[in-house]
Amino acid sequence: MKMILKNKFLALSIIALIIISIIDIKMTYTAIDNTWNQLFTMLLIVPPIFILIGLFDVWIPRETIIKLMGEKSGVKGMALAFLLGAFSAGPTIAAFPLAMVMLKKGAKYSNVLFFLMVWSSLKLPIVFFQITTIGLKLSTIINLTMLVVFILGALISEKLLSKDELQEIETKALNYHKGN
Amino acid sequence: MGIETYIIYGLTIILLIISLIKSKEKTMLGIKKGIKAFTKIVPVLLPMFLFIGILLTVVTPEFISRLLGENSGILGMSFGLIVGSITFMPPFVAYPLGVELLENGAAYPQVAGFLVTLMSVGIVYFAAESKFFSKKAAILRNVVSFIGALIVIVIVMVMF
Repeated sequence: MKMILKNKFLALSIIALIIISIIDIKMTYTAIDNTWNQLFTMLLIVPPIFILIGLFDVWIPRETIIKLMGEKSGVKGMALAFLLGAFSAGPTIAAFPLAMVMLKKGAKYSNVLFFLMVWSSLKLPIVFFQITTIGLKLSTIINLTMLVVFILGALISEKLLSKDELQEIETKALNYHKGN
Repeated sequence: MGIETYIIYGLTIILLIISLIKSKEKTMLGIKKGIKAFTKIVPVLLPMFLFIGILLTVVTPEFISRLLGENSGILGMSFGLIVGSITFMPPFVAYPLGVELLENGAAYPQVAGFLVTLMSVGIVYFAAESKFFSKKAAILRNVVSFIGALIVIVIVMVMF
Protein backbone atom coordinates (compact mmCIF):
# COMPACT_ATOMS: atom_id res chain seq x y z
CA MET A 1 0.00 0.00 0.00
CA LYS A 2 2.76 2.41 0.99
CA MET A 3 4.65 1.52 -2.17
CA ILE A 4 1.62 2.27 -4.32
CA LEU A 5 1.11 5.61 -2.59
CA LYS A 6 4.73 6.55 -3.13
CA ASN A 7 4.62 5.47 -6.73
CA LYS A 8 1.36 7.34 -7.24
CA PHE A 9 3.10 10.56 -6.30
CA LEU A 10 5.96 9.71 -8.61
CA ALA A 11 3.55 8.66 -11.36
CA LEU A 12 1.68 11.95 -11.03
CA SER A 13 4.95 13.85 -11.39
CA ILE A 14 5.97 11.88 -14.45
CA ILE A 15 2.57 12.41 -16.09
CA ALA A 16 2.85 16.14 -15.35
CA LEU A 17 6.36 16.15 -16.81
CA ILE A 18 5.13 14.52 -20.02
CA ILE A 19 2.27 17.01 -20.31
CA ILE A 20 4.50 20.06 -19.87
CA SER A 21 7.02 18.54 -22.27
CA ILE A 22 4.32 18.43 -24.94
CA ILE A 23 3.29 22.03 -24.20
CA ASP A 24 6.81 23.41 -24.03
CA ILE A 25 10.01 21.43 -23.64
CA LYS A 26 11.67 24.45 -22.02
CA MET A 27 9.31 24.05 -19.06
CA THR A 28 10.61 20.52 -18.56
CA TYR A 29 14.15 21.79 -18.30
CA THR A 30 13.02 24.44 -15.81
CA ALA A 31 11.17 21.79 -13.79
CA ILE A 32 14.23 19.53 -13.60
CA ASP A 33 16.39 22.53 -12.78
CA ASN A 34 13.96 23.51 -9.98
CA THR A 35 13.94 19.98 -8.62
CA TRP A 36 17.73 19.90 -8.58
CA ASN A 37 17.94 23.30 -6.85
CA GLN A 38 15.44 22.32 -4.16
CA LEU A 39 17.16 19.01 -3.62
CA PHE A 40 20.56 20.65 -3.43
CA THR A 41 19.39 23.22 -0.86
CA MET A 42 17.88 20.41 1.15
CA LEU A 43 20.96 18.20 0.96
CA LEU A 44 23.10 21.09 2.14
CA ILE A 45 21.23 21.59 5.40
CA VAL A 46 19.91 18.12 6.15
CA PRO A 47 23.04 16.06 7.04
CA PRO A 48 23.80 17.90 10.31
CA ILE A 49 20.14 17.67 11.31
CA PHE A 50 20.25 13.89 11.01
CA ILE A 51 23.52 13.70 12.92
CA LEU A 52 21.83 15.72 15.68
CA ILE A 53 18.84 13.37 15.59
CA GLY A 54 21.20 10.41 16.01
CA LEU A 55 23.07 12.04 18.90
CA PHE A 56 19.76 13.00 20.51
CA ASP A 57 18.60 9.40 20.29
CA VAL A 58 21.79 8.00 21.79
CA TRP A 59 22.48 10.54 24.54
CA ILE A 60 19.17 11.76 25.89
CA PRO A 61 17.55 9.19 28.20
CA ARG A 62 13.85 8.51 27.94
CA GLU A 63 13.34 9.54 31.57
CA THR A 64 14.70 13.01 30.81
CA ILE A 65 12.29 13.58 27.95
CA ILE A 66 9.35 12.21 29.92
CA LYS A 67 10.23 14.61 32.72
CA LEU A 68 10.82 17.63 30.46
CA MET A 69 8.22 17.09 27.74
CA GLY A 70 6.00 14.24 28.91
CA GLU A 71 2.39 14.06 30.04
CA LYS A 72 3.02 16.05 33.22
CA SER A 73 5.43 18.61 31.80
CA GLY A 74 2.78 21.34 31.54
CA VAL A 75 3.81 24.85 30.54
CA LYS A 76 7.51 23.99 30.83
CA GLY A 77 7.10 21.23 28.26
CA MET A 78 5.49 23.63 25.83
CA ALA A 79 8.19 26.22 26.45
CA LEU A 80 10.87 23.66 25.71
CA ALA A 81 9.03 22.55 22.56
CA PHE A 82 8.95 26.20 21.49
CA LEU A 83 12.68 26.68 22.09
CA LEU A 84 13.58 23.51 20.21
CA GLY A 85 11.44 24.57 17.26
CA ALA A 86 12.60 28.19 17.29
CA PHE A 87 16.32 27.39 17.43
CA SER A 88 16.25 25.16 14.42
CA ALA A 89 16.92 25.28 10.72
CA GLY A 90 15.78 23.37 7.71
CA PRO A 91 12.54 22.46 5.99
CA THR A 92 9.60 21.06 7.96
CA ILE A 93 10.15 17.61 6.50
CA ALA A 94 13.48 17.38 8.33
CA ALA A 95 11.59 18.00 11.58
CA PHE A 96 9.46 14.85 11.18
CA PRO A 97 12.22 12.36 12.09
CA LEU A 98 13.21 14.55 15.05
CA ALA A 99 9.59 14.65 16.19
CA MET A 100 9.60 10.85 15.97
CA VAL A 101 12.58 10.62 18.34
CA MET A 102 10.79 12.88 20.82
CA LEU A 103 7.68 10.70 20.67
CA LYS A 104 9.77 7.57 21.04
CA LYS A 105 11.35 9.02 24.18
CA GLY A 106 7.97 9.71 25.72
CA ALA A 107 7.23 13.34 24.87
CA LYS A 108 3.59 14.41 25.00
CA TYR A 109 1.98 14.50 21.55
CA SER A 110 0.74 18.08 21.90
CA ASN A 111 4.27 19.22 22.74
CA VAL A 112 5.70 17.45 19.72
CA LEU A 113 2.99 18.90 17.50
CA PHE A 114 3.63 22.38 18.88
CA PHE A 115 7.34 21.86 18.19
CA LEU A 116 6.54 20.93 14.57
CA MET A 117 4.32 23.97 14.13
CA VAL A 118 6.94 26.33 15.57
CA TRP A 119 9.56 24.72 13.36
CA SER A 120 7.40 25.27 10.28
CA SER A 121 6.93 29.01 10.74
CA LEU A 122 8.53 30.52 13.82
CA LYS A 123 12.19 29.57 13.44
CA LEU A 124 14.22 32.46 14.85
CA PRO A 125 16.72 32.87 11.99
CA ILE A 126 13.75 33.04 9.63
CA VAL A 127 11.90 35.49 11.87
CA PHE A 128 14.85 37.90 11.66
CA PHE A 129 14.95 37.52 7.91
CA GLN A 130 11.18 38.00 7.82
CA ILE A 131 11.41 41.31 9.74
CA THR A 132 14.09 42.68 7.44
CA THR A 133 12.01 41.84 4.36
CA ILE A 134 8.29 42.29 5.05
CA GLY A 135 8.75 44.67 7.99
CA LEU A 136 8.26 44.59 11.75
CA LYS A 137 4.53 45.33 11.81
CA LEU A 138 3.43 42.56 9.44
CA SER A 139 5.92 40.12 10.97
CA THR A 140 4.67 40.83 14.48
CA ILE A 141 1.04 40.32 13.50
CA ILE A 142 1.83 37.06 11.71
CA ASN A 143 4.09 35.61 14.40
CA LEU A 144 2.03 36.54 17.46
CA THR A 145 -1.18 35.28 15.85
CA MET A 146 0.42 32.03 14.76
CA LEU A 147 1.98 31.49 18.19
CA VAL A 148 -1.41 31.69 19.89
CA VAL A 149 -3.05 29.55 17.20
CA PHE A 150 -0.30 26.94 17.48
CA ILE A 151 -0.56 26.68 21.27
CA LEU A 152 -4.33 26.25 21.19
CA GLY A 153 -4.20 24.13 18.02
CA ALA A 154 -1.67 21.69 19.48
CA LEU A 155 -3.71 21.22 22.67
CA ILE A 156 -6.99 20.82 20.80
CA SER A 157 -5.51 18.46 18.19
CA GLU A 158 -4.35 16.11 20.91
CA LYS A 159 -7.84 16.06 22.39
CA LEU A 160 -9.27 15.26 18.96
CA LEU A 161 -7.09 12.16 18.67
CA SER A 162 -8.24 9.09 20.56
CA LYS A 163 -6.02 7.04 22.88
CA ASP A 164 -5.70 4.38 20.18
CA GLU A 165 -4.76 6.91 17.52
CA LEU A 166 -2.08 8.41 19.77
CA GLN A 167 -0.83 4.92 20.59
CA GLU A 168 -0.59 4.13 16.88
CA ILE A 169 1.58 7.22 16.30
CA GLU A 170 3.82 6.25 19.19
CA THR A 171 4.23 2.76 17.78
CA LYS A 172 5.29 4.25 14.45
CA ALA A 173 7.84 6.39 16.30
CA LEU A 174 9.24 3.31 18.04
CA ASN A 175 9.55 1.48 14.73
CA TYR A 176 11.16 4.43 12.97
CA HIS A 177 14.03 4.74 15.40
CA LYS A 178 14.40 1.13 16.47
CA GLY A 179 16.49 0.16 19.46
CA ASN A 180 17.67 1.90 22.61
CA MET B 1 22.70 30.31 1.72
CA GLY B 2 21.26 31.56 4.98
CA ILE B 3 23.09 32.05 8.23
CA GLU B 4 21.12 29.21 9.83
CA THR B 5 23.12 26.73 7.76
CA TYR B 6 26.36 27.89 9.35
CA ILE B 7 24.80 27.86 12.82
CA ILE B 8 23.49 24.32 12.46
CA TYR B 9 26.82 23.05 11.09
CA GLY B 10 28.69 24.80 13.90
CA LEU B 11 26.36 23.39 16.53
CA THR B 12 26.58 19.88 15.09
CA ILE B 13 30.38 19.96 14.99
CA ILE B 14 30.59 21.20 18.60
CA LEU B 15 28.16 18.55 19.85
CA LEU B 16 29.92 15.85 17.83
CA ILE B 17 33.24 16.75 19.46
CA ILE B 18 31.71 16.73 22.95
CA SER B 19 30.03 13.43 22.17
CA LEU B 20 33.30 11.93 20.87
CA ILE B 21 35.14 12.99 24.01
CA LYS B 22 32.50 11.40 26.21
CA SER B 23 32.09 8.15 24.30
CA LYS B 24 33.36 7.06 20.91
CA GLU B 25 31.00 4.06 20.72
CA LYS B 26 27.90 6.08 21.51
CA THR B 27 28.90 8.74 18.97
CA MET B 28 29.34 6.13 16.25
CA LEU B 29 25.99 4.59 17.16
CA GLY B 30 24.39 8.05 16.99
CA ILE B 31 25.85 8.77 13.56
CA LYS B 32 24.71 5.36 12.37
CA LYS B 33 21.20 6.04 13.65
CA GLY B 34 21.17 9.44 11.99
CA ILE B 35 22.21 7.98 8.66
CA LYS B 36 19.57 5.26 9.00
CA ALA B 37 16.86 7.85 9.71
CA PHE B 38 18.05 9.80 6.67
CA THR B 39 18.02 6.82 4.29
CA LYS B 40 14.46 6.07 5.42
CA ILE B 41 13.30 9.52 4.40
CA VAL B 42 15.00 9.60 0.97
CA PRO B 43 12.43 7.49 -0.92
CA VAL B 44 9.77 9.96 0.19
CA LEU B 45 11.89 13.01 -0.59
CA LEU B 46 12.84 12.32 -4.17
CA PRO B 47 9.33 12.12 -5.71
CA MET B 48 8.29 15.06 -3.52
CA PHE B 49 11.04 17.30 -4.83
CA LEU B 50 10.32 16.29 -8.39
CA PHE B 51 6.70 17.27 -7.80
CA ILE B 52 7.67 20.60 -6.23
CA GLY B 53 10.06 21.28 -9.10
CA ILE B 54 7.28 20.81 -11.63
CA LEU B 55 4.86 22.85 -9.54
CA LEU B 56 7.24 25.81 -9.30
CA THR B 57 7.61 25.77 -13.09
CA VAL B 58 3.93 26.61 -13.42
CA VAL B 59 3.55 28.66 -10.24
CA THR B 60 6.14 31.34 -11.01
CA PRO B 61 6.46 34.68 -9.15
CA GLU B 62 4.80 36.36 -12.17
CA PHE B 63 1.90 33.92 -11.94
CA ILE B 64 1.45 34.57 -8.20
CA SER B 65 1.81 38.30 -8.77
CA ARG B 66 -1.05 38.22 -11.28
CA LEU B 67 -3.27 36.24 -8.89
CA LEU B 68 -2.64 38.45 -5.88
CA GLY B 69 -2.65 41.73 -7.80
CA GLU B 70 -4.29 45.01 -6.97
CA ASN B 71 -8.02 44.83 -6.25
CA SER B 72 -7.94 41.03 -6.34
CA GLY B 73 -10.17 41.04 -3.23
CA ILE B 74 -11.62 37.85 -1.78
CA LEU B 75 -10.65 35.91 -4.88
CA GLY B 76 -7.04 37.07 -4.49
CA MET B 77 -7.07 36.04 -0.83
CA SER B 78 -8.42 32.60 -1.71
CA PHE B 79 -5.77 32.18 -4.41
CA GLY B 80 -3.10 33.31 -1.98
CA LEU B 81 -4.23 30.75 0.60
CA ILE B 82 -4.53 27.93 -1.94
CA VAL B 83 -1.24 28.59 -3.73
CA GLY B 84 0.52 29.05 -0.38
CA SER B 85 -0.89 25.78 0.93
CA ILE B 86 0.10 23.75 -2.11
CA THR B 87 3.52 25.15 -2.91
CA PHE B 88 6.68 24.98 -0.94
CA MET B 89 9.45 27.57 -1.04
CA PRO B 90 12.48 28.16 1.14
CA PRO B 91 11.92 31.27 3.33
CA PHE B 92 14.78 33.17 1.72
CA VAL B 93 12.88 32.91 -1.55
CA ALA B 94 9.40 33.37 -0.08
CA TYR B 95 9.81 36.61 1.89
CA PRO B 96 11.58 38.61 -0.84
CA LEU B 97 8.80 37.41 -3.13
CA GLY B 98 6.29 38.77 -0.59
CA VAL B 99 7.99 42.15 -0.73
CA GLU B 100 8.01 42.05 -4.52
CA LEU B 101 4.30 41.25 -4.53
CA LEU B 102 3.56 44.17 -2.20
CA GLU B 103 5.65 46.53 -4.34
CA ASN B 104 3.79 45.36 -7.42
CA GLY B 105 0.56 46.47 -5.80
CA ALA B 106 -0.71 43.30 -4.15
CA ALA B 107 -2.69 44.02 -0.99
CA TYR B 108 -1.37 43.17 2.49
CA PRO B 109 -4.04 40.59 3.48
CA GLN B 110 -3.50 38.58 0.27
CA VAL B 111 0.25 38.53 0.71
CA ALA B 112 0.00 37.75 4.44
CA GLY B 113 -2.32 34.80 3.79
CA PHE B 114 -0.04 33.55 1.05
CA LEU B 115 3.11 33.79 3.18
CA VAL B 116 1.58 32.18 6.27
CA THR B 117 0.19 29.18 4.39
CA LEU B 118 3.41 28.92 2.39
CA MET B 119 5.36 28.43 5.61
CA SER B 120 2.95 26.46 7.76
CA VAL B 121 0.60 24.49 5.52
CA GLY B 122 2.34 21.82 3.49
CA ILE B 123 0.14 19.85 1.16
CA VAL B 124 3.28 18.52 -0.56
CA TYR B 125 4.38 17.10 2.78
CA PHE B 126 1.04 15.43 3.30
CA ALA B 127 1.98 11.98 2.03
CA ALA B 128 5.16 11.96 4.10
CA GLU B 129 3.48 13.42 7.16
CA SER B 130 0.67 10.83 7.04
CA LYS B 131 3.25 8.09 6.81
CA PHE B 132 5.25 9.40 9.75
CA PHE B 133 2.37 10.23 12.09
CA SER B 134 -1.10 9.46 10.75
CA LYS B 135 -3.47 10.85 8.18
CA LYS B 136 -5.66 12.43 10.83
CA ALA B 137 -2.66 13.99 12.60
CA ALA B 138 -1.42 15.44 9.31
CA ILE B 139 -4.87 16.86 8.52
CA LEU B 140 -5.15 18.39 11.99
CA ARG B 141 -1.76 20.13 11.79
CA ASN B 142 -2.52 21.58 8.38
CA VAL B 143 -6.04 22.66 9.33
CA VAL B 144 -4.79 24.43 12.47
CA SER B 145 -2.20 26.31 10.40
CA PHE B 146 -4.79 27.19 7.76
CA ILE B 147 -7.14 28.60 10.41
CA GLY B 148 -4.18 30.62 11.70
CA ALA B 149 -3.72 32.07 8.21
CA LEU B 150 -7.39 33.08 8.09
CA ILE B 151 -7.10 34.84 11.44
CA VAL B 152 -3.91 36.60 10.28
CA ILE B 153 -5.78 37.86 7.19
CA VAL B 154 -8.56 39.32 9.33
CA ILE B 155 -6.12 41.04 11.70
CA VAL B 156 -4.05 42.41 8.81
CA MET B 157 -7.23 43.80 7.22
CA VAL B 158 -8.00 45.64 10.43
CA MET B 159 -4.46 46.85 11.08
CA PHE B 160 -3.44 47.99 7.60
